[in-house]
Amino acid sequence: MKKTVLFLSFLALAGAVFAQKKTTTSATVAFDASTAIDALPKAENKTVIAAVDTKSGTVAFEATVKNFAFTNPKIQEHFNAENWLNSDAFPKFTFKGKVTDLTKVNFGKDGSYTVPVTGDLTIKGVTKEVSTPATIVVKGGTINATADFSIKLADYGITGVPIDAGKVAKEPKITVSAELK
Amino acid sequence: MSLPAKKSNPWRKRLLIGGLALIILCAGVYWYYATEKYGDTKNVKADFTVDATTFIKEFIADDSAANKKYTDKIVTLTGTVSEIEAADTTLNIKFIDSTTGSYAIFAFQQQHLAEAKSVKPGDRISVKGSCSGGIYSEILEATSISFKRSTLN
Repeated sequence: MKKTVLFLSFLALAGAVFAQKKTTTSATVAFDASTAIDALPKAENKTVIAAVDTKSGTVAFEATVKNFAFTNPKIQEHFNAENWLNSDAFPKFTFKGKVTDLTKVNFGKDGSYTVPVTGDLTIKGVTKEVSTPATIVVKGGTINATADFSIKLADYGITGVPIDAGKVAKEPKITVSAELK
Repeated sequence: MSLPAKKSNPWRKRLLIGGLALIILCAGVYWYYATEKYGDTKNVKADFTVDATTFIKEFIADDSAANKKYTDKIVTLTGTVSEIEAADTTLNIKFIDSTTGSYAIFAFQQQHLAEAKSVKPGDRISVKGSCSGGIYSEILEATSISFKRSTLN
């Protein structure tokens, strides 16, 4: 009997822990490096894996580099090329971070919250810290999270003539949005 | 006494015309590449047509070989839809290997979103897209194989 109670307690606990982690495989990351003289270098990846742990406040995403869809085939080719993102060698972008002030959000109550998020963004094998405010909207147990920030391409070892010539922004804007259930 | 008429250099004229032609050609090539867009995937012949479960198992067995074979290729998968994930402007269709949780996921071309909305979990479908390869997800502890510019076949 004791064993059964213990086992059931363990199951309940495991269920509660599991429920804290909300994930999706359909988050979107938009990359916008367009400039006044070239509108083409921008793309979206709509199959990004994202997770939020509502108890610890950890947030994470993983994006397959090759799944950023550009409208122009040449730009797509350049984006994935060895001297740019080198997606054959570095097939994913990752972000691992945390809501640094969990008192600013109540995941159990419907509402819109602006929270500070800090974490490590890894692109092309280079990891840099990123801090940004994120908007979290809680509605009926579903969490909608959005954040945008800029990165310096040079920080990740990405340089080239198109950047120097002003055809690609030196600091592209990254927008992340996810609906987590 | 009048000066002799200046004789024009025919090579100079030819060089000028050649230079102009080269500039026009370069501008044309640049314009072609700058305005080129991906065509409708529906009209592109698939490089591979595979059963969805077999396809996912290939990545689980040897992701390196599977990535080499399928990445950047147009692939048609046929199988039973496991899940549909939809948000405001997106809709992705998934085939999931129930044993490992590994999956193939299709993001649709804008013009094919409407037809994709008619698909339901449990439907048997054939879907074609540009394979972006598989990665191992540390978040899900499973392999994720993604597709872009997809369409129902």
